[in-house]
This record gives sequence, C-alpha cells and structure tokens, in this order.
Amino acid sequence: MVSRACDVRIPRLLIVVGLVSALAVEFRAQDLSVPNRSDSVKFAAIGDNGTGDQPQYDVANQMDLWHRRFPFDMVIMLGDNLYGRQRPADFVTKFERPYKPLLAAGVKFYASLGNHDKTSNNTYEPFNMGGQRYYSFARSNARFFVLDSNYLDPAQLAWIRRVLGDSKEAWKIAYFHHPLYSDGGRHGSEVDLRVRLEPLFVNYGVNVVYSGHDHIYERVKPQKGIYYFVAGSAGELRQGDLKRSSLTAAGFDQDRSFMLNEIAGDDLFFQVISRTGQTVDQGVIHRGARP
Amino acid sequence: MTRAWRFSVEHYLVLPLGGLIALVWANTFEASYFQVSQALAFVVNDVGMAFVIAYLAQEVIEATLPGGTLHPRRHTLVPVIAGVGGTLGAVAVYAAYIQSTDEHVLLQGWPIACAVDLLVCLAIGRIIFGRSAASTFLLVLAIAGDVAGLLTISRRHFVADAHPAAAVLIVAAIGVSAWLRRAGLRSMWPHLLLSGPLTWLGCYRAGIHPALSLLPIVPFLAHTARDLNVVADADRPTHRTAHHFESVFEYPVQAIAFLFALVNAGVFVRGFGTGTWAVLTASLAGRPAGVLTAVAIAVAAGLPLPRRVGWRELIVIALAASPTLSFGLFVAAAVFPAGPLLIETRMGALATAAGALLPLAAARILHVGRFGDLAAQEPVRAKLTEGHA
Repeated sequence: MVSRACDVRIPRLLIVVGLVSALAVEFRAQDLSVPNRSDSVKFAAIGDNGTGDQPQYDVANQMDLWHRRFPFDMVIMLGDNLYGRQRPADFVTKFERPYKPLLAAGVKFYASLGNHDKTSNNTYEPFNMGGQRYYSFARSNARFFVLDSNYLDPAQLAWIRRVLGDSKEAWKIAYFHHPLYSDGGRHGSEVDLRVRLEPLFVNYGVNVVYSGHDHIYERVKPQKGIYYFVAGSAGELRQGDLKRSSLTAAGFDQDRSFMLNEIAGDDLFFQVISRTGQTVDQGVIHRGARP
Repeated sequence: MTRAWRFSVEHYLVLPLGGLIALVWANTFEASYFQVSQALAFVVNDVGMAFVIAYLAQEVIEATLPGGTLHPRRHTLVPVIAGVGGTLGAVAVYAAYIQSTDEHVLLQGWPIACAVDLLVCLAIGRIIFGRSAASTFLLVLAIAGDVAGLLTISRRHFVADAHPAAAVLIVAAIGVSAWLRRAGLRSMWPHLLLSGPLTWLGCYRAGIHPALSLLPIVPFLAHTARDLNVVADADRPTHRTAHHFESVFEYPVQAIAFLFALVNAGVFVRGFGTGTWAVLTASLAGRPAGVLTAVAIAVAAGLPLPRRVGWRELIVIALAASPTLSFGLFVAAAVFPAGPLLIETRMGALATAAGALLPLAAARILHVGRFGDLAAQEPVRAKLTEGHA
C-alpha cells in the first residue's frame, strides 16, 4: 500500500513541480521589458514575413498575444511582404489572415518594398503606402522614412534629402529592405547603398535604421552614431546564417522573430520576441547620446 | 610602338585589366571602391561612353560604305535576322526566368539580355573562323543585338526630371552638323564642339541616355570605306589623319574603356542572386536558341546563307554571341541605379565570360573553322557577298 501510495504521490509531485516550472518559464518568456507607457509611440517591426506558411502564422499569433499586453498601434514592414504569387488570394493567405486579429484591433501596417514584392503592391490599401514606392509619416515626436532600396534612383535620393531636411521631429527612423550593415552570411551589408545613404543619415541626424533581407535578427553596433537592426525573420528563416563579427552587438538566427519598439521621450526601447515567445534581445537607445 | 602595345590596344585589353582591378578592389576595400566608382559613374557612363559608342558607330557606318565589309547592306539581312532572333530569345528567357521566381523588380532589367560583347565576339570569331564569312556573320549578328540594346535603354527610367521638349536641341545639333557637312568641312572638331554639347544636353534633359548623344551626328562625320574589324586590324592608313574621329580618339577611347571597366565591373563575389542567373541563362541559352530559330525561319523563307556557313558553323556562331560582358555592364548601369539589383545583374554579365569557352568547345566537337577541314581554312578576306556568288 505504502509503495502504492508513493507510486501515486511521486507522479503528482512531478506534475506539480513541472507545472510550476513551466509557469515560471512562461512568465519569464512573456516578461515585457519595454515600459509600456500610456503616451508613448509603440510599434512592432517585421521583415521577410509573407510566406503564407505556418511559421509566419506562429509569429503573427505571438504578435497578437503580445499586442494584448503591449498595445502597439502600428507595424512597420521591412519588405518581402509577400513571397511567390501575389494574386488577390495571396494577399489573404499571406497577409490578411495571419494578421487578422491585429487588423481587427485597428493596428495599421506600413510597408516598404522588398525584392520579392511587386512594385504595384504599393496600391494595396492595408499596406498604407499611398501608391508610393517611398514615403514618410509621423507619430508624435517620431518621423518614419520608408525607402525603396530596390531602386534608389536620383529622384528618390533627392526626395530623401528634402524630407530629412524638412523633418522637425525628435526621432528620425528610416526603414527599408536591404541592410546597410549586416552579418548575414547569405547577403550581408549592401555597401553600395550605404555609400549613398549613410552620409545623408549622418548629416540629417537619423537615429535608427531597420532593415530585413537577411533572414536573421541582428542588432549592429552603432555606426557613426546610428543604430541598425536587421529583422528579416518574421516568416522566412536562414538558420545559423548569422556570421558574428565585430559589427554584431546581438543576434538570433535559430528561429523566427519580430520586434516590439517603444519611443518614450528621448528613449527608444526594443524587445525582440521569438516565434515561441522567448525574448531574444532587449535594450534601450538614448537619443542624443551619440555613441 | 611595340607589337605588345599595339596588340593590347587593338584587343582592348584595358577592359579585362580594369575589370580585374575593380573586382579585387570591390571585394577587399568595398567602401572606398563604391565611393570612387559612384563618384566617377556619371562622367564615365554618361559622358565618356558617348565617345566610345560614337567610335564604334563610326566603324560600323564605314563598313557599310562601298568597299566596306558590310557592303552591300542587303547581304547582311540573314545575320541581322539572326541578331534580332537572338535578342528576342535572350529577352524571352530572361523574362521567363524572372517570372518563374518572384523577384518581379528584376523584370525591368530585360534590356541587359539584349547586350552582346562586340569585342569578345570578334575575338572568338577570329580565333575560330579567321577572316571568313562566318566571322562577318557573327559581327553583324552582334551589332544587331547591341543596336537593340541601345534602343531599349535610350529612354532612361530613372531620370529625376525629364523634359521631352529638350529633344529640340538634338534636332538643332543635327541641323548644325548637316550644315557643316554641306559646307565641306572634313574636320570632326566643329561637329564635336558645336553639335556635340547640344545633342548631349538635349539627350540628358529629354531623358534619353546621354551615352547615345553623339550617334545623331556620327553620320555627318567624314567617312572612309573600310574593312570592319575592331580587333587586330593593324593597318588603317586611310584613317590616320588628324581629322578622322577614329584616329584622334583611339587612345582616349582606351582610357575611357579602362575607366568604364573599373567603374562598372566591381561586384561582390557574394552578390549573386536571381538577376545573375537570369542574365546568365538568357545569354548562354536564350540567345543561341533565338539565333538558330531565327535563321531556320529565314532559310525556310528562302533567304540564302553565306558560302561556307552551314548549320554546324551557325551553332558555333550562336554560342559565340553569348558573352554579354562589357556591354551588359553598360546596359545594366543604364536600367538599374546603384544597389543590389545592379550588383547581381552585373555579376550575371561578368559570368557570361564563361560562355566564351562554349563556342570553342563546340567548334572542336563539330570540327568547325580552324578545328575542321584544313582546306576550308583558306585565308579569304571574305565578305558576306561571297556567299551569294
């Protein structure tokens, strides 16, 4: 009998311990590191997401879960918003369906064009591109500059120079598909674009740059005072492709991920969440403290 | 002048030299390479290349004069058809390749598939066929492809503010050159100094690629009938005058060609992508298939092939027209601004160098030209007209 009682108790104990451990892990995983202030600018960032496959849906589910605790009202899309065919039905399976809860909650998506996107997708209303390849918009004390890095023609360069010069917002944030700095093994840094864009970003005081293209997450050490993120794994993933170098501040290439960001005064907080809900990177950028 | 120097000038060895330096530089000190190349790009591609294209156009025009290799012009019909067919084949394969992927932004790069490297074609033709009708066939085919390429890029897609009305300056330049020619001036300088700036400005402001700007005035320059052979044509006494465009610009064109390769050939080794494979497939498969199909249609329609040019020779000719190389680099820079699309398509253009080996292998397997019957290699200074004797 005793032994039988023990037989029963041990599994129960194990179950209890297991449940407590799992809850603890879950709690840690779900820990929000951004301050989540009421008057801040909150946004998520996703790149290379539009596969229509299960991992994209998994990431989208995580975004929805986190959105309930951290009510970001917009998502910046870093390009390759749709892979493969881009018929009306594909916009449903690769965008509208995975992000349905967010769209239903009124979250606005602001897309940039990747090399897999049709240029004509700029007229797709939920991408909020206004029919433009490149555009800018402002939120409170931040202005976002959305570029088309596929085709950085003189007209676009002239536009960038003009809108950066005209911008009065405290935070200047640029995002586009091809990374100026990246340790992704497949693509890496687009130096030819960097030669064109970096001097403008430095001259006009751009604070943060987000890109995709390499299917990894990487936070690059500040370059000439500008913070660079590569976040190209919200759908696609090139596992193990991050070739860490002296540029790398942090990185994650083992699973898909997306970014949560919050601008509160002179601070930009960021938290990077994996497909399974783990926090894989977090931190804060102080504006004006040029590294 | 040493023979080696003459050889390097006539074979434009500055091109591979500049290309090699660019490749090494871009993959070692990439930031400095792109700073320099992007700073020089406008001067080289939009100004300097106007002289190179005018230089080549002058040679083609002279070859069509009585006594020239391409005279009478009606005998160039089959190779022109072959060239058009090759261009269509290459463009079709390029478009099909891009469509089979989902990188739609690369579709606008289709003019790159039109490009044929004239100098490489000539060199291959000379190695395999010597101075035979097959060589001339290959030359005309290549020119036809390049003319198609030039036409497709004539309208630039990324000019910030085009003013079509500026084309009136081109008309004015043509008028000035026509008047100069009517006045009996043999010197090219009034054409270049008066008409040149007008037509360049007209093209630039009208959104036409300024590298094409001297083409409208080339027909008004002084001409002398000639054997068209850019490569290894050592003796051209009729062109050695201080007033002749070819004579004056022989070395400046070499310098521009070197800078052109330096500015345009620098690509990352890791920079390959869909555009690379599309250009490569279009050039190595699409163009040869298009050439052979077009010739088959022309022959079926009753047009004769030149003498000593049969289907085995045509297969080798079709393969010899596949390298895109320098002209591909030029067209790529005309359709894509600096960025990853330009890098990967340029890489495709450079990779077509591998296509230079295909005609040599085919000639050996098919026993064509120097690899064939010795009796067929009699040193004829053949023109296409021979085929119709």
